[in-house]
Amino acid sequence: MAEFTLDCLGEACPVPLMKTEKKLEGLAVGDILIVSIDHSCAMKNIPEWARKQGHNVEIDEVDDGEWEVVIEKTK
Amino acid sequence: MKAFFDKLGKNETYVKIFKTPFTYLTGAILLSIFQVVSLGVTGDPWGVSGTFANWGAWLYRLVGGSVDRWYYFSSAGAQAVLDRGFLNDPGTMRNLGIIFGALAAVLLASQFKIKKIKSKKQIVAAVLGGFLMGYGARLAYGCNIGALYSAIASLSLSGWAFAVFLFIGSFFGSKLLRKFFM
Repeated sequence: MAEFTLDCLGEACPVPLMKTEKKLEGLAVGDILIVSIDHSCAMKNIPEWARKQGHNVEIDEVDDGEWEVVIEKTK
Repeated sequence: MKAFFDKLGKNETYVKIFKTPFTYLTGAILLSIFQVVSLGVTGDPWGVSGTFANWGAWLYRLVGGSVDRWYYFSSAGAQAVLDRGFLNDPGTMRNLGIIFGALAAVLLASQFKIKKIKSKKQIVAAVLGGFLMGYGARLAYGCNIGALYSAIASLSLSGWAFAVFLFIGSFFGSKLLRKFFM
């Protein structure tokens, strides 16, 4: 159960989602990926995509306009 | 004073209205209502890219240039808009409204952040992409708002044609993004 981070601060959609998809592919089931974003549309579409894939998702607002999307790979 | 705003920021109704993102449906309905208002007030359907062309013309005039002989600005209507000036242009007011409205929304949600530039690649991508968007928007006499949204709202078939090619362009654009700029 390893934890990985992905820094997408300063990136505009669709880059955060594309990078998240790619990175998550390489993770094992049970691994956790923490994506740092500061784009509000990514705050909506990354959790939406991850949940549709069946993963567990949590969103933390860490600062004004900055979020960490915590994705647990479930399959 | 600060305690009041901290409490306000946690109030359930405040959060629902000002912080939690609206659903796509809510956004669509609000946009539709406001574009009807805009059409009623200005007499023109909602659009943004035409105004940018005028901003460019005014900036060019500021540094001593003139667009009066350009075909695009040669019509009487276009010249009248340019002569009336930046502050008298309804399109300008609408675009400024969007900019300041977006700023207000983000401040009310405590989500304001100045984002740093990540790399030179990002600047190149932004400049190239922006240039293509501006150029394409004038060729099409509108962008995703004027040529897509307002066209479809006006029951114009060209809006749907634009939509098809918007998707095709985005498809290839995403491939290029992935290959060169990610």
